[in-house]
Amino acid sequence: MSTIEQKKVKLTSSEGTEFQVERSVAERSVLLKNMLEDVGENDMAIPLPNVTGPILTKVIDYCTHHRNDPIQNHDDDLKKTSEDIDDWDAEFCKVDQGTLFELILAANYLDIKPLLDLTCKTVANMIKNKSPEEIRATFNITNDFTPEEEEQVRKENEWCEER
Amino acid sequence: MESNPPLPAPNDLAATWAFLENGIDQIMNRLEEGLSYKRYMDLYTGIYNYCTSSRMNPGFASEPLAGPGSNLNNNRGANLMGSDLYQNLQRYLERHLFTIRENSTQYMDENLLRYYTRHWEKYTTASSYVHHVFRYLNRHWVKREIDEGRKTVYDVYTLTLVSWREHMFKHVERHVMTAVLKLIERQRNGETVETGLVKSVVESFVALGLDDADSSKSTLDVYKDHFERPFVEASEVYYKKESEKFVSENSVTDYMKKAETRLSEEENRVKMYLHTSTNKPLITTCEAVLVKNHTDIMWDEFQNLLNMDKLDDLHRMYSLLSRIPEGLDPLRTRFEEHVRKAGLSAIEKIADQGGETMEPKTYVDALLEVHRKYNDMVTTAFRGEAGFVASLDKACREFVNRNNVCKSSTSKSPELLARFCDSLLRKSAKNPEEGDLEDVLNNIMTVFKYVEDKDVFQKFYSKMLAKRLVNGTSASEDAESSMISKLKEACGFEYTSKLQRMFTDMGLSKDLNDQFKDRFSTDAGDQQVDFSVLVLGTASWPLQPSTTNFIIPEEVEKTFHKFKMFYQNKHSGRKLNWLFHLSKGELKTNYLKASKTTYTFQVSTYQMGILLQYNKDTTYTFEELSQSTDLNAEVLSGQLGILVKAKVLLLSNGAVGEPGSRYDLHMDFKSKKVRIQLNVPVKSEQKVEVEETHKTVEEDRKLLMQAAIVRIMKTRKTMKHVALVNEVISQLSNRFKPKIPDIKKCIDVLLEKEYLERVEGQKDMFSYVA
Repeated sequence: MSTIEQKKVKLTSSEGTEFQVERSVAERSVLLKNMLEDVGENDMAIPLPNVTGPILTKVIDYCTHHRNDPIQNHDDDLKKTSEDIDDWDAEFCKVDQGTLFELILAANYLDIKPLLDLTCKTVANMIKNKSPEEIRATFNITNDFTPEEEEQVRKENEWCEER
Repeated sequence: MESNPPLPAPNDLAATWAFLENGIDQIMNRLEEGLSYKRYMDLYTGIYNYCTSSRMNPGFASEPLAGPGSNLNNNRGANLMGSDLYQNLQRYLERHLFTIRENSTQYMDENLLRYYTRHWEKYTTASSYVHHVFRYLNRHWVKREIDEGRKTVYDVYTLTLVSWREHMFKHVERHVMTAVLKLIERQRNGETVETGLVKSVVESFVALGLDDADSSKSTLDVYKDHFERPFVEASEVYYKKESEKFVSENSVTDYMKKAETRLSEEENRVKMYLHTSTNKPLITTCEAVLVKNHTDIMWDEFQNLLNMDKLDDLHRMYSLLSRIPEGLDPLRTRFEEHVRKAGLSAIEKIADQGGETMEPKTYVDALLEVHRKYNDMVTTAFRGEAGFVASLDKACREFVNRNNVCKSSTSKSPELLARFCDSLLRKSAKNPEEGDLEDVLNNIMTVFKYVEDKDVFQKFYSKMLAKRLVNGTSASEDAESSMISKLKEACGFEYTSKLQRMFTDMGLSKDLNDQFKDRFSTDAGDQQVDFSVLVLGTASWPLQPSTTNFIIPEEVEKTFHKFKMFYQNKHSGRKLNWLFHLSKGELKTNYLKASKTTYTFQVSTYQMGILLQYNKDTTYTFEELSQSTDLNAEVLSGQLGILVKAKVLLLSNGAVGEPGSRYDLHMDFKSKKVRIQLNVPVKSEQKVEVEETHKTVEEDRKLLMQAAIVRIMKTRKTMKHVALVNEVISQLSNRFKPKIPDIKKCIDVLLEKEYLERVEGQKDMFSYVA
């Protein structure tokens, strides 16, 4: 299929900025794919009321890079590890925490499974091998447990501690 | 035009549902008006916002689905929002379908089908939209519910199907099926109907087959129970009635045409608009009603069709009856009997004409004609089906071996067949073209396959081959070797090894003669006799030694001794037996007074011996000739008879062969031909030969049976009489069919020779004596 000839799809971010992308890029989003198939193509812009312009820009970057990846149908990949992130994707995720969380939301909303997996894995890697205190520091969380509560939680979760 | 109300507040269920219901209603009822990207996105976003609202508003917790299973959620993480939307959707679908159902009651028959299928198509198309719009709910809330084992929650598309099944299908299914069956019946009656309607109904019923245990899988239960079963039953009733009526009013052949048409129509019906899985039950039922119920009349008709050679009808009957188990068995039996009778009567016809001296070609042609005819029938009408091939073979074996010509013995057929081979392979004006010859030889092999006494054929064949080779009358070496390789293919290496050995001897003899000529051509002064010899191995050649003594005429004696010496030198220790009765020579006349022509006599060696005596005198008595040639009276008188008949010698006293009879050289011999063939077989010799051949066959068989018995007993050590006899029969079956009394005799011989002994105390048990 020729990418030059492909018809552009117009997307509008929450603040009203219009983006033009090729259909194959837009179709990385299962939401958009289903809709384009159901409604058919026309010149109208597709409003994305839950995605901001900067985030949509990132999402489009991602989708453009991965436009020719095979569609993965089974979400029950048996081997799910947080290690198998390639260089481009790792570079893509080098963003501030706020942007990363916005990307997770957008991926979930737009139904882009590989992007959702990637961003969640990135967050998982941030947590991995860290003590509760370090995690709190990383994500800027204030400890609202009383010492008794904290002890209770620790006991309840003892089973998953590494020995 | 569509309205575009603003998105409702995320945590407001009532507002959210009102917003969604409006959209769903548009999709369900007015999809043809179109749906904008914005509307689609708003509906999706409305659901997304509602489902994610707990995150934005932590105080707002949704109730999980009510019921005893709800405690499942207790120890899991955040509750997922969605059950309210799901239940609202479920209730909406119920209401929507209720309306469709109510409206359906005004329709019947085709109109009902049109209504049902139109709404089914509209509903399922809309449902796939709704399914997509609700994708967020499917991905999260529904997935969680299903993962937790709740059986009554489905993804949205499945929910729409389950709803249709509950609120639509269950109520209208009977009416729909009545209409479907009426429509199909009308089509069977020859009307043109809208089959697309049935196809849609089938698709609908198939789609509704949801596996209750796992909603992601589908079953054919709904289709099987509600469509296929009533349909097959109706088909059975219809065809039962139709076929009974048709049979009572029409001929069997017409009925078969009808049944064939009907069966192919039904096969097409399944292909055109039913589910493929219906093919088997429908066709099985139709076969039972259309074929199985009418087998008797077809079986009865079979003989008539055979008698009239109705190939088309026979094929039709074959293909109909092949559909049902055991349908063909009676046909095979009758076919076998029919072919056997046809073979016998064909032979009877020619037996009356031929009498004792049956022309081999006539006989073999008659056999082949019957085989060809019914072999064609098997390949065309019965499609070469193995059972009919077996019947044909059995019938042919019967009439080839036991017919009017070979009344007394099964060895007549192989004899005639071998004679026919000889007539083809011997030099003759009537020899067929090379290409045709190959065909004829193949035909011979067809008959040969059926011959039981293959050993008899072998005997006659090798006798006649020996004659062709010795007399140099073989028409073509290629044809000879082609025939031998065919026999080898049919019966194995051993069967033809002697025949092949005969060809080897011929080649060796040629070399030997060349060497002999080279060696002695330089000898000067000798009176040269053109001389050639065939040295043939006794073991391979079926040649009888001469019955008479013979004195070599002195004219050739020198050469004769020279060769003897030459050969003994080459192969010391080998013994040469001279078969003068099979030898021949040529003599040139130079004693004739009146004629200037020199005649050449082609003579047997015995005739040569007699005639060369006349170089010394022109008249001899029987006794004088007897003394000078040392031929016995029988042979001498036979040979003289030929010479007298040809007027080479003149009988001047008494009758040929009588004591005192006298033979003068005919000095005024005249003939139109320059070369005169005097070496003709003596009639009485031929008959003796045939009898002898049959006799040697009997002898050989005894040896073969004895060898087989010893072979079997050597491996089995002990064996029961019956088992032994059966084993012998099976081992020898490709040569001949041993008779049980003969086997018994052979066992007795072996007991006597102490190869075997009876096991004491056990009846009919033999053991091998090593």
